[in-house]
Amino acid sequence: MAADKQTKLLAKQLFKLSVVDGVVSPEQVAGVLGWVEQRSPRRPVALLKAYHHRIAIELAKSRAEVEHAGPVTDAALKLIEGAMSQRYKRVVTASAKPNPSLLAGLRVRVGSDVYETSVAGQLAKLSV
Amino acid sequence: MLNLLLATVESTAHTAEAAGPIEGLKQTFMHFGVEPKYLVMQVISFLILFGVLYKFGIKPTIATMEERNQKIADGLKHAEETQARLAAAQQESAAIIKAAQLEAQKAIDEARKTAKDFADKQQTEAVQRSADLLAKAQQSIELEHKKMLDQARGEIARLVVKTTEQVLAKKLSDADRAAYNEAATKELSVL
Repeated sequence: MAADKQTKLLAKQLFKLSVVDGVVSPEQVAGVLGWVEQRSPRRPVALLKAYHHRIAIELAKSRAEVEHAGPVTDAALKLIEGAMSQRYKRVVTASAKPNPSLLAGLRVRVGSDVYETSVAGQLAKLSV
Repeated sequence: MLNLLLATVESTAHTAEAAGPIEGLKQTFMHFGVEPKYLVMQVISFLILFGVLYKFGIKPTIATMEERNQKIADGLKHAEETQARLAAAQQESAAIIKAAQLEAQKAIDEARKTAKDFADKQQTEAVQRSADLLAKAQQSIELEHKKMLDQARGEIARLVVKTTEQVLAKKLSDADRAAYNEAATKELSVL
């Protein structure tokens, strides 16, 4: 069931309540869910879907998925975390994910942004 | 006989000269047996005859002649008018024919001019269409050629990249990858 305009607006307000200092607060999220459970607003399923979508996007902005081919040190991950936290003005945590198809190098994904420094990416640019 | 008549006239003239001119005239009439009463009666009968003839003969004849003359005059007049009208009609018809000929010639000239213009226009349009078709065909050929070249270039690049990837996958060692990752990390950290 698609959310109507009013439900989307309520989900947006609940999402704003869930973010403290630019970070999704688990306590606030729990409070919002308790409020939804207790008050049972109109169209709760659509409201929770819209709320979940916004929270997932926000959490993805706070996570840096580092795909790599070959070994990556913890120091490198910390360096990437620092650079992304500085770039997005929020705390970003990095997680490593092996991807041999990159041949060598890294591909960092933060939310919908992708930073490509892999050999496969550079070769792909050549083939275009 | 002639001598007798001359002698009678001479004796009458002598008598008249002797008694006056009127009396002489009377004696002459009397000598020839002309009686005044008979003369008056003859004059009256002549007048009656003349009246009858005039009423039943002369007058209708004169009327008929006048009527005939009038008819002839009318006919002549009508013939003259008809002649004049015929001349005018001939003149008018000649003028109309001349005007119609001019009009027809003008129409023919205009039709010729229109036909020529139409043919010229058609020819120009045909030439333009053929030029457009030729240009489109050339453009299409160029596009097709460019597309084919792009496809070939892409395919060659894809094969080169694929080959390079396979070679690199075999040749790159963990140390090479670690060094590359280090460099990539530094590159990302300065973004």
